[in-house]
Amino acid sequence: MSCEITPDEFRIISKYVCDITGIHLDQGKEYLIETRLGGLLKEYGCSSYSELQHKAGTDPDKSLERKIIDAITTNETLFFRDTAPFELLQHKILPDLIDLRAAGSSGLFPIPIRIWSAACSTGQEIYSIAVVLKELLPDPKKYNIRLLGTDISDAAIAQASYGRYNKFEIERGLSQDRLHKYFTPYGDMWKIRDEIRAMVSFKKMNLIQPFDGLGKFDIVFCRNVAIYFSRKDRERLFDKIARILEPDGYLIVGSTESLTGVYPGFEPKRYLRSIFYQLK
Amino acid sequence: MNNLKILVVDDDPATVSLLERRLKNAGYEIETADNGAEAVRLISKCHFDVVLTDLMMPGGLDGMGVLEAARQMSNRTEVILITAYASVDNAVEAMKKGATDYLQKPVNCDELLLRLEKISNLKTLIRDAGDLREAMDITEANAAQTIQNLEMEVARLQKKLSEIRKIVSE
Repeated sequence: MSCEITPDEFRIISKYVCDITGIHLDQGKEYLIETRLGGLLKEYGCSSYSELQHKAGTDPDKSLERKIIDAITTNETLFFRDTAPFELLQHKILPDLIDLRAAGSSGLFPIPIRIWSAACSTGQEIYSIAVVLKELLPDPKKYNIRLLGTDISDAAIAQASYGRYNKFEIERGLSQDRLHKYFTPYGDMWKIRDEIRAMVSFKKMNLIQPFDGLGKFDIVFCRNVAIYFSRKDRERLFDKIARILEPDGYLIVGSTESLTGVYPGFEPKRYLRSIFYQLK
Repeated sequence: MNNLKILVVDDDPATVSLLERRLKNAGYEIETADNGAEAVRLISKCHFDVVLTDLMMPGGLDGMGVLEAARQMSNRTEVILITAYASVDNAVEAMKKGATDYLQKPVNCDELLLRLEKISNLKTLIRDAGDLREAMDITEANAAQTIQNLEMEVARLQKKLSEIRKIVSE
């Protein structure tokens, strides 16, 4: 039984991966299939990737498909990844948004702040956002905060939901001060404190499918996800985001991503070291 | 390369000197302590890659206490416990509290050296991964600035273009 992938096999399995995840694997990415799905080949006793694909496609409870999604998705993330977007959120977006919303409100109801971390992976981004909110808003009762993290991978959502991180994950991006303030030791791991955990909800969601019943958001973080998609899927994704974003809402993409030329409905705006997008 | 800095903790001087000799011969950097309190003092003073400690020690601080102190000081210190009796329960409890491994007395030095080699390899891999991430972050930050400048410039030109189009069509 060999894990080496033939060009035909690569075509079949990469099309399948693209169909279920939107992840577009060009030629030259054969190694990604081999390193990430090679284990499943053995586990399911398949002699080829096309057999694996067939098994996944006909599996009634879709457990193999879920395993393929878990294996093929990249969960590279860290707390406060690339600090600039969080400074942007803290110093520009949230103060502006709160001013705007407060001016338009009667003062009788809490001000809604709805933030979505699309493709939240294991939760580090949305928890970092929760920490920023916690530190910025001394009186959270004045706000109606909704923080949502979604991801295509069951395994990622499960870990995000537990809010438990090992020593390697916790070390990255988090200051000692924030570590002790917002996490408690949990055996050999660290667990996010209940007060932060309670601010966030998680849901499994595939970004290439329709955003039914998602609701509207004031701020969307969609960082380093579209980079894995084909151009068509990228356009569709940002079109769907444009529809669930409030007219004066904010979109933040990865620091090396570009939207002009991909989706014309957004206008880039600059603040210090970062760019955010608003609807034209 | 045996680049690990190791703290050996045991109340039995014969064990300490045996381990110290063998590990030094293998090229490791060794410090020793003959009780838990001394070990904790050393751990709080400087960083050790590995703490190798006896579980049962007289005085207020046993191996479990040393483990807890090491865990609190640094996530990057690996703790190996040495147990005098075949007590799986103790070992499991220690692993739950974050011990990397445990060995039974009398310590088989070859076995210990093998485990240290594994830790050393792991540390090298972790450092390499860290270096790569660092390189990636720098590249990403530079690329981000270039892309952001281009993004703003493209947006400015698009605006201008649509203004010109408007004038032309009028």
